[in-house]
Amino acid sequence: MKKLLSTLLALAMVLTLVACGQKQAATSGASASSNKETFELALVTDLGTIDDKSFNQGAWEGLVKYANEKGISHKYYQPQAAETNAYFETIELAIEGGAKLVVCPGYLFEEPVYLAQEKYPDTHFILLDGEPHTADYSTYKTGSNTMPILYQEDEAGFLAGYAAVKDGNTKLGFLGGMAVPAVVRFGFGYIQGIDAAAKELGVNCEVVYNYTGAFAATPEAQALASSWYNAGTEVVFGCGGAVGNSAMSAAEGKNQQEGKFVAKVIGVDVDQYSESDTVITSAIKLLSNSVYDGITMFYDGKFPGGKTTVFNAKNNGVGAAMDNARFNTFTKADYDVVYNDLKAGKFNIFNDVTESNPATALTNLSNTKVTFIE
Amino acid sequence: MDLLYFLIQQTLLFMIPLLIVALGGMFSERAGVVNIALEGIMVMGAFTSIFFINLTQGFMSGNGQLLIAILIAAATGIVFSLFHAIASVNLKADQTISGTALNMFAPAFAIFIARIIQTVQQIEFKNTFRIVEVPILSKIPIIGEMLFKNSYITTYIGILILILSSLVLYKTKFGLRLRACGENPHAANTAGIKVELIQYAGVLISGALAGIGGLVFVVPTSTNFNATVSGYGFLAVAVLIFGQWKPKYILFASFFFGFMKALSNSYASIPFLFALNIQSNIYKMIPYIATILVLIFTSKKSAAPRASGIPFDKMKR
Repeated sequence: MKKLLSTLLALAMVLTLVACGQKQAATSGASASSNKETFELALVTDLGTIDDKSFNQGAWEGLVKYANEKGISHKYYQPQAAETNAYFETIELAIEGGAKLVVCPGYLFEEPVYLAQEKYPDTHFILLDGEPHTADYSTYKTGSNTMPILYQEDEAGFLAGYAAVKDGNTKLGFLGGMAVPAVVRFGFGYIQGIDAAAKELGVNCEVVYNYTGAFAATPEAQALASSWYNAGTEVVFGCGGAVGNSAMSAAEGKNQQEGKFVAKVIGVDVDQYSESDTVITSAIKLLSNSVYDGITMFYDGKFPGGKTTVFNAKNNGVGAAMDNARFNTFTKADYDVVYNDLKAGKFNIFNDVTESNPATALTNLSNTKVTFIE
Repeated sequence: MDLLYFLIQQTLLFMIPLLIVALGGMFSERAGVVNIALEGIMVMGAFTSIFFINLTQGFMSGNGQLLIAILIAAATGIVFSLFHAIASVNLKADQTISGTALNMFAPAFAIFIARIIQTVQQIEFKNTFRIVEVPILSKIPIIGEMLFKNSYITTYIGILILILSSLVLYKTKFGLRLRACGENPHAANTAGIKVELIQYAGVLISGALAGIGGLVFVVPTSTNFNATVSGYGFLAVAVLIFGQWKPKYILFASFFFGFMKALSNSYASIPFLFALNIQSNIYKMIPYIATILVLIFTSKKSAAPRASGIPFDKMKR
């Protein structure tokens, strides 16, 4: 009996390994077979692949859009593992495959790009959401062949907050992940967007604000969001990875209990409308736009290498998702108005994140009361 | 009053998974095998059952689907805990190490398989399991509001598991043998009890319950499963100790932990508590401080099963 059992277990483990091994062999085979042809535009994927509804997909869409318009050969490469060496090797593979420009989505590429920009001075790189540096963060260096892209999250948060208040909500919440600069910028912009809309409408708004301290969906985050909805909060901006999913879960519970659509969620980074019916809009980084612009500049001979490019409303790099929005009254026309105002610099958004508590950092609010929960 | 009902409803969301998993841990430890793999087993149970919900989403929904998912979670837990049973009962390995190995293996495995199958590690699911109101029962004053509104079927399953566990442990022959193996396996062996068999049963029951606990934990909390149960398996071990390895105390301990968790997250919505201006960290600390205090005061006559954690070897006396 004992022997039979252990044999069975051993067999099961071996079979799983074999199954996985085959799969990997298949993918590496596909990338190896491309050696004869060359591809000018390449994208090396971060964790996940080009249909991950997040960074990879956004970047790939921008690349494909340009490539199809101009008829340029293009291809994406998947690293075998999520580590600097594997990423670097995959970048090399892309360059051997004839790539003139390599798009690297995600901050995990900071180090691989740092290495690649020196070794391949004739190849150009677009790095999303990060700046090249060494493994120990001691040296930051952007080669003249590299274009790092960062996003001004406060403007995306501003637009989402503005839209939510213009749509008739006055009690809002912000459920952040860790208080890292990107999250804090989203949050500060969000509050100021709320205040701007409240001023225009002549109403008073209340915002409850919390950093959960993690990027995970936990019962704690769910309970927090539930308690807010229970206390009358209408919209919660779930800003920090899976934290948003806890907010969505809480909102779904509240709506089901009430039998009507009273609890809403704002998504983050990419349009999260498909993750829950409670998502009214998302504060997004328009990855495909920035990649498209970067490639355009490259082919126009104006590649802005050597310095970090910041994408904001001015260059259509951030926004609030309107295509699948679930607003009552706020329309695309309304959105375009505020977007143009933002572009024109009509709003002066405070985005210094040295102090992460909005109740003390934001002193320019007139119609909004912020309750910061530690 | 509404606030109190809300607090209780939230408490249940924290409490039920802790209760189920701690009871699972109890079965294993009372049989003499320490099971700190609870966390990993929860992850595995949640992984397969959420995957099932994800795959059958189009044509199944509601509590029928959830019940099948619970069975799948239990089965997964049993299979996964088998590794722990083999290591600690047959091979007489250090039970802490085997448990730790499983804890490290589970999330990695879940991410790996999820990525192979669907390229994304998060497994999305639609929560169609909320019970807005249980007919008739929700009309009972106070209790109806607390237990039978805005709840999950898993709450009642958790309570059922508690009752069954008490009965099995104290009122059956199997329960007596289980407890004997945890206290003095050699004496039990002399009395003709197959200690290995009982220990196997204990570990596998704990696997089944921890697997269910994983699913019960994930369903109300998120809209996807991201290969983690946020340390609730370890928390369940604390509940088990706080509950002194006895079902009725475990019930109390899990309620206490759950209530403090609920309070620490929603105190800002309760006016008089918010006015006190106590940081949420204080509320979060209380259950752990209480556990340490209980351990200090009960250490003299600790109810821990005496043979728990010691591999049973017939040759040793």
